[in-house]
Amino acid sequence: MKGRVFLLVIIMFIGFSCRNSKSKTSEFVFPQSDSVPVSEAEKLSPEAIADISKNISSPVEIANLLQTLQVPFSQSYLAGSIDANRQSTNFNKALKLGILGADLGYLNMYEKTGSSLDVLSSIRKIAEDIKVGQFFDFESIKRLSKNKSNLDSLLFISIDSYNKIDNYLRGNDRGQLSALMIIGVWIEGQYLATQVVNQYPDKILADRIGEQKIILNDLLLLISPYCNHDSEFTSLCKDMLDIKDKYRDIRITYTQGNPVSVEKDGGLTIKQTETSVVTMSEDQLNAIIEITKNIRDKLILNN
Amino acid sequence: MKKTIVTLALLFTFGLLSSGQVTDPLISNCVTNTGANARYLKDFRIQLGKAVSQNELRYKANMSLWKNTKYRFTMCNAENSKGQLILSIKDDSNKEILSSFDKNTGKTFSFVDFECQKSGIYQISYDFANGQQGSGVGVVSMIK
Repeated sequence: MKGRVFLLVIIMFIGFSCRNSKSKTSEFVFPQSDSVPVSEAEKLSPEAIADISKNISSPVEIANLLQTLQVPFSQSYLAGSIDANRQSTNFNKALKLGILGADLGYLNMYEKTGSSLDVLSSIRKIAEDIKVGQFFDFESIKRLSKNKSNLDSLLFISIDSYNKIDNYLRGNDRGQLSALMIIGVWIEGQYLATQVVNQYPDKILADRIGEQKIILNDLLLLISPYCNHDSEFTSLCKDMLDIKDKYRDIRITYTQGNPVSVEKDGGLTIKQTETSVVTMSEDQLNAIIEITKNIRDKLILNN
Repeated sequence: MKKTIVTLALLFTFGLLSSGQVTDPLISNCVTNTGANARYLKDFRIQLGKAVSQNELRYKANMSLWKNTKYRFTMCNAENSKGQLILSIKDDSNKEILSSFDKNTGKTFSFVDFECQKSGIYQISYDFANGQQGSGVGVVSMIK
């Protein structure tokens, strides 16, 4: 019990201090935290939580990057071992809903819509189990998947369904399930990126993995109110802190510049000249690849 | 007859409530008009009354944008909107990166493409031109 409380205090300190930092330096660092009372973290407004959950990057962006880098699709990256019928707790169900959502995004982006039907069925089963099935537009997604008609509509309905579930959970005092779903999405996206970079080393992809440092605190903030909830949450919070620890010495620096704008085809194009630069050693990247795989594998096997 | 109407009304209400699947047509229409090479990421539904002052854009949200990604921000207005939806994006140091409204010419762009080179959390703000009352949607997509 003492251990759990200590863990919760650490996470709240770290998370909240990041939210309030206004660093003027040209390097992104995890802020030092020593002055924010724990109770402040508990007072995060629903708007702040909604803001954080909307802000977490979409797995579709990772899949888009993989396509740009011409990385071939692989079924082996998917969480195929998840059995929707064997999820015993709401913790497991919400987490798996997030993991499967990320897989669905990956399948959709690669237009592997035939393979997505199994994932869709699992998502529907789990969503119904936690009483949010009404927000998942299964029939439309299935129809669009079968027809391979309009990828953009498919992405929209899929993401929109998840957003509706997220809004509903947060609005009905089930914020812990919303947080789990978002963590699940992120971990699976991170797993996908790290597995690919392991197989197809690429600087752009490695940088994207390193840049996740920017949103790690937000993820911690999201789950911090629940770290003391039960042993499953305590364990997940510890896992997230372990991931954060691997990011501690990765540096993100910025170069200055002014955006350049061009009018084209009735629209405006802005090219940013300011850049972010990730400094990460091979050992640091390997440590992230390893810890992500260990945690993700543990989560999908924990039926 | 009365009974039938009541039953129909109840069925209709129940149908709407139980489906939970009403997607705003303004959003879906806007998504389908973002372009063939655009991939939907998220949307922001904006409904604002007339502004008391016009110092700042009123609707604000944060969003992580990633280096080496080209984003498209599309703005769509509802028919009854009094003003046109405009967008401004600031970085974490509060520096404006882009605006869909050109203050020099008074021109408003219906979409802005942004070639991001600095990963980070950005503040995305929307309002209607001249602080007018309006209803609209901002769609964020990736460009392939």
